[in-house]
Amino acid sequence: MAPPAGQIRPGRYLAVFALILVGIYALVFFTGDRKPTPELGIDLQGGTRVTLTARTPTGQPPTQESLQQARQIIEQRVNGLGVSGSEVTIDGQNLVITVPGQNGEQAKRLGQTAELNFRKVQQAVPVSALPQSPGKTQGQGSTSGSGGSGSAGSGSGPAGTTPQSSSNGTAAAQQPPPDDPDSRAAAIEQAKKTRQSTNPQVQAQALQALNCSAPDPLRGNADPQKPLVTCNQEGTEKYVLSPVFLEGQQVETASAVPPNQQYPGWTVNLQFKGQGAQKWADFTSANVGKRVAFVLDTQVVSAPQVQSAQLGGRTTISGNFTQESATNLANTLKYGSLPLAFDQSTAETVSPTLGIASMEAALLAGGLGLILVAVYCLAYYRVLGLLTILSLVLSGAVVYGVLVLFGRWIGFTLDLPGMAGFIIAIGITADSFIVLFERLKDEIREGRTFRSAVPRSWARARRTILSADAVSFLAAAVLYILAVGQVKGFAFTLGMSTVLDLIVVFLVTHPLVVLASKNKFLSKPGVSGLGAVQRMGERARAARKRSPKQGPSATTPKEA
Amino acid sequence: MSTPDSESSNGTTPPNGAESTASAESTASTAERGGVLHRLYTGTGAFDIIGKRKRWYIALGLLVLVCIASIGFKGFNLGIEFTGGTKISMPAAGAQGQITADEAEDAFREALGYPADSVQLVGSGDSQTIQIRTDKLSVEELTTVKQGLAEDLQPLGVNGQPTVEAISDSAVSGTWGSEITKQALIALGVFLALVTVFLAFYFERWMAVAALIALLHDVLVTAGLYSLIGFEVSPSTVIGLLTILGFSLYDTVVVFDKVKENTRGLLGLTRRTYAEAANLAVNQTLMRSINTSVIALLPVLGLLLIGAGLLGVGVLRDLALVQLIGMIAGVVSSLLLATPVLVDFKMRNPKYQAQAAKVRQRRERNSTETSSGTEQAAGSAPDASVLDADSRREREMVAAVSAPARTGKGPGERGSGSRSAGGSGRPTGKKRR
Repeated sequence: MAPPAGQIRPGRYLAVFALILVGIYALVFFTGDRKPTPELGIDLQGGTRVTLTARTPTGQPPTQESLQQARQIIEQRVNGLGVSGSEVTIDGQNLVITVPGQNGEQAKRLGQTAELNFRKVQQAVPVSALPQSPGKTQGQGSTSGSGGSGSAGSGSGPAGTTPQSSSNGTAAAQQPPPDDPDSRAAAIEQAKKTRQSTNPQVQAQALQALNCSAPDPLRGNADPQKPLVTCNQEGTEKYVLSPVFLEGQQVETASAVPPNQQYPGWTVNLQFKGQGAQKWADFTSANVGKRVAFVLDTQVVSAPQVQSAQLGGRTTISGNFTQESATNLANTLKYGSLPLAFDQSTAETVSPTLGIASMEAALLAGGLGLILVAVYCLAYYRVLGLLTILSLVLSGAVVYGVLVLFGRWIGFTLDLPGMAGFIIAIGITADSFIVLFERLKDEIREGRTFRSAVPRSWARARRTILSADAVSFLAAAVLYILAVGQVKGFAFTLGMSTVLDLIVVFLVTHPLVVLASKNKFLSKPGVSGLGAVQRMGERARAARKRSPKQGPSATTPKEA
Repeated sequence: MSTPDSESSNGTTPPNGAESTASAESTASTAERGGVLHRLYTGTGAFDIIGKRKRWYIALGLLVLVCIASIGFKGFNLGIEFTGGTKISMPAAGAQGQITADEAEDAFREALGYPADSVQLVGSGDSQTIQIRTDKLSVEELTTVKQGLAEDLQPLGVNGQPTVEAISDSAVSGTWGSEITKQALIALGVFLALVTVFLAFYFERWMAVAALIALLHDVLVTAGLYSLIGFEVSPSTVIGLLTILGFSLYDTVVVFDKVKENTRGLLGLTRRTYAEAANLAVNQTLMRSINTSVIALLPVLGLLLIGAGLLGVGVLRDLALVQLIGMIAGVVSSLLLATPVLVDFKMRNPKYQAQAAKVRQRRERNSTETSSGTEQAAGSAPDASVLDADSRREREMVAAVSAPARTGKGPGERGSGSRSAGGSGRPTGKKRR
């Protein structure tokens, strides 16, 4: 507990506060990057933000490890975009990708990739066409050993369509599976029965019935041990595929190779890890002339024909690639295997214009709020109102400093909801002063002088302020911990303001009121705005004097 | 805002001193008859809020029923985050001058071959923007549209040059809103559980119950008004609703703190009933509550004015609007609902009923004796010696508990109200413990 009321030395408290303030700004200006600016969120500076929500077959929340793993993989991809300041954070079951500035469009494609597997193509039919021999199918590249002896594939490759973007196209057009875990699980179960059946007849029926433009409940949920009936990403071809013989984790690296003497078009180079290299060699030796499907999230990205046995774990995929489609396929293969499937929940790009407008609007709103509060306090509390304004200004100074430091230390970014949180907190901060002043009025009304009323009213107001702030802080903390999305910034600034409000009330407002009560001029009724209640208090005192039975015992302040 | 001083000039001087002491301590006194504002300011108020509680129950009950009906039958106007879709926005300032909604609509159709769901001009001044809403677009479609819009309309970027980068877009899947709402509801549950624990420790049981009832009222009324008026519900709205809870409780905590203070050792006294003590507390905190709310609302109002007026749409407006409605509901419920409900709970306790009966008896006794002849709502001024002993005991009581964080004595532990007048009338300066 604080020292007994009535014995405080206001100077000391103010000195402590001054030290804190100087300390904060010393840290701001002499550590880190020394820039007195907080980190801004993309909604204030412009940029792209994508929220990916993890989906699991059971509808259960994913494990933290798998989320972490996915985060790292996606972070690698984001870094591949080469925009500085990009980051990927975990928020509940979501990954949030933020890319500041103007080159973030690509980020909207990064989360599209989940599981990459390699399966053998048993049967391929063009959509809405009669089955034809796989050698002449559209969308067929070829794959050959890096020895380079393999000639380019006869297929026309993924003509002009980029594997990734088209995955995006279909994924975007698809309605997400039912939200209800039960019905989703049922849909998955049903699809597994038909499309993952080992019975050729059922497979054939499934192949007939399969609609490539419908959402795929199996997306990311297919059983790798079983065959699979599925479409390619463009929705132009349907396949019956064998069980997975090689997982995407076995891909060491992949890169897009510009046209060269050997291959006139763009190609993709693929390098397997040790074990994978062995499996790949075995498979290609046994399946020359057959097609192999690169299956991503149960959709076929590319199904090239095997030109030759490929030993040594390297292979080249050729086809009608453009630079972009080759790069995309390489990326898909390189980072293909996320441990989870993701749905893109939100994807937004904020133009710098809009960011600036939002920022200005928030600052304007904050300024307007402050002015309104200041005017009201002055009208209502006169000089005490001045103390309120002074406290608010100091509070603001502390908040800003802490904000800059948090941006530096824990990567806190100030976004629009965060600014709204601060603006709303102005009221909560000013409110603590009101509790104190109204208590003062109570005491004065009962016949105390301004000066003797201060310690008593503080003792009581303190308790109310503490409990009320505890409730506010509780609300903010619960929100910050449990809620997802943009609310975090709002909850954070609200909670932070509440804590700093306490510091300011204890170290600034109360000592200032004590000082004011000791000052003759400031205690004048007209100046302090307490005239009415002071007169009432005087009458109360006079009344007690007239009835001596109620001695001064009632009015001596009790010091604990 | 009329200043207290100018107001106080019409505050009548009380006829006698003893009277005004009473006025400072008893709501029943109407001697201080200033204007309403003056009564508000000085907190002697004498607004009979508890006495008219039936009225508040009926009014608020009706409001809650209407709200529930509206939520049930009309539902909410859900924003894009709940339905899914793509939103494209760009500054309305183009190289060819002002871009109109029609132009934007044509450009959109030209780019994609089908019309947008809605195209509107929002905001004002420099912040005016064109907002286009459609079903969810793929990245390719989005790129096509953005290019098309940039070519046709030439929106100006930060540097005043037309650029495609001036166009913002946001695509939301239909499940995102429910995802956020689900988390928000979990947060709400946790918060309520924690708050119940907090209140149970901090207050007595019935206070915790009353505070939660007020809280429920605030949530229902805010949600109901949204449904009734048809404001758009976005995730920001849901979040704003949660933060209101903190604020609404805050209000209630303050009033209840005062109630607690005023009713310490009440059972040992026959000055006033629980209802009167609570009413006094409400009156004493009335100005504070109004002030608090006004002060808290001013920044929110600023936010709303700018958010809705200048930007027209977005997070700022959504947050501000829900806070505005919720705060007003919160202050109303903390004054007109929480305390009356508390009194009703309390008065079910035989101890308090008995005490109220004693208070009535004493007043009846006193009113048969002649007194100073001033008008007191609680009957005429009680016999001086009784008053003295009683008010002295009460003051001692208050003094004894004025040390903060001291738990009050349980009701009934104090002197059982035997009013031996005189004798101990001399102040000793000692506190009775």
